[in-house]
Amino acid sequence: MDRKKRRFDSPRSYSKGVPIVVWLLFLVVVPLIFTFTMSFYSSKGLVIEKILTLKNYKLFFTDPVYSRILFKSLRLALSVSVLSIAMAYPLAYMVSFKMARGRNLLFMMCIIPLWVSYLVRIIAWRSILGNRGVINSALMTIGIIQEPLRIFLYNRFAIAVTLTYICIPFVFIPVYTALEKIPRNILNAANDLGANELHSFLNVVLPLSLPGLITGFIFSFIIALGDYIIPLQLGGTQGIMFGNLIWSQFGFAFNWPFGAALGFILFVISVTILGLTAKFGSTEGGFLSE
Amino acid sequence: MSNAIGKGKLEKRGVGLKLYGLLIFVFLYVPLCVVLVFSFSPTKTLVGMSGVTAKWYKELVQDQELLKALLHSFEVGISAVLIALLFGTSGAFFITKVRFPGKGLFRALVMLPFVLPGIIMGLTLLIFIKNLNITLSMFTIMMGHVSFTTPIVMFQVSARLQRMGPNFQLAAQDLGATPFKTFWYVTLPMIRTALIGAALLAFTVSFDEIVISYFLTGTWMTLPVYLYGMLRFGLSPKVYAVSGLILVFSLSLILLMTRYIGRSSEEVLVKR
Repeated sequence: MDRKKRRFDSPRSYSKGVPIVVWLLFLVVVPLIFTFTMSFYSSKGLVIEKILTLKNYKLFFTDPVYSRILFKSLRLALSVSVLSIAMAYPLAYMVSFKMARGRNLLFMMCIIPLWVSYLVRIIAWRSILGNRGVINSALMTIGIIQEPLRIFLYNRFAIAVTLTYICIPFVFIPVYTALEKIPRNILNAANDLGANELHSFLNVVLPLSLPGLITGFIFSFIIALGDYIIPLQLGGTQGIMFGNLIWSQFGFAFNWPFGAALGFILFVISVTILGLTAKFGSTEGGFLSE
Repeated sequence: MSNAIGKGKLEKRGVGLKLYGLLIFVFLYVPLCVVLVFSFSPTKTLVGMSGVTAKWYKELVQDQELLKALLHSFEVGISAVLIALLFGTSGAFFITKVRFPGKGLFRALVMLPFVLPGIIMGLTLLIFIKNLNITLSMFTIMMGHVSFTTPIVMFQVSARLQRMGPNFQLAAQDLGATPFKTFWYVTLPMIRTALIGAALLAFTVSFDEIVISYFLTGTWMTLPVYLYGMLRFGLSPKVYAVSGLILVFSLSLILLMTRYIGRSSEEVLVKR
């Protein structure tokens, strides 16, 4: 009982935290500080000038090219989140409410794609959408088209489809968790009071699953916003998104300070959005919970 | 699930929903099947695919660079997981057992590598490494992998510790066990499956990781980075064979993992 009285343990027991604090400092905090510092440097050719300047941020906020790419990416991330919810929410609802048997198996089946190599999934979509890919081959075999269509790959549609595919499990998991926590007798009560399924869904299930839904929405949004490999692989000329704009600063553009500034902007956006999850989303969806 | 009549009614009405669910399952699994089918196809395209062949898989065995990359992936994965087990487990004990000020913020910070877009982790680590004048090598990739595997382990283990509660340890201490003995004979056996599950999960993620590795790779490549390089020359049957191999390997790891990890969805979630 004595333990309960004090709010915090004595500093002596903090020694348990030394390894994780070392990890945190060296792999998270200090690299972030270095990045923040570098975002105030400037780049001359291949040399990084270590004089503090606001040039990078000024460039970002004054040249409309960059904010246009950011807004394009935000829009894409929004549509990916909406699409992922449109696919994952009904799926979670079905598995949680409509299946008498095999719920565990179906649950596993919904999240297995999450663990299958990200790159392999990108390759899969390239081979489905490509010129000699599955869709074109199928359409040509049926005889609808004679020449392969080029509308599927190397555009924003391809990026959105692949990102949605990647994001579905991230929406499914928190939504499913929220749905599973809804006591079933509440639904029976709603039913007894004359609510049909739509009514009880709108008035009971949806509000109760909202925290999970918000968590899923925000996570798919962040994943879609920060991705750079999918735009590089499937985006073609339309595929300049915020993620690969940042990437290119470390690649052929070789402007690390500007890349650091863009990265820091993405960091601020992500942390702000994550802060919203902590406030409105469920902490039980598996992301920020203990 | 208590009211059998209500349940029956609900389930009957879900036909449309079940069809929609089925379509989404098709959407989820067709791409994976496509990769496997292509990897056994004697021709480059699906049109005119006749018979199956394992020749692309045989070609892989002769590719020295590829085998080297595969070996590298195992080296990075295993060492990163071992280090993550150390950091993550001690971190889990710290965050569940010790009450200290600023815990909420601390937890949020630890989760950052796990919840931030991979590109941010990649570029911050790259800048950090370059500032310290470390050349890109196996060590730098491993650093990157430790950054995201540690929260995975910590998450799994602290979930298990949370569910266990403090009573078992308190009982052991009351019976005169030293802190070490308590850990060795009481706590460790109880978190053993969580540790194995976390290690498998962390290894799976590490084995597939590209977003962060791509920033931290010099000439020392892991399998996904090598595969990414192969993509520059388009989708070849060999690309499909490597993908097929990764696919089957990941699936086996996942099936193995489900034996150790709790079914609660909080415990199975992991990023990418």
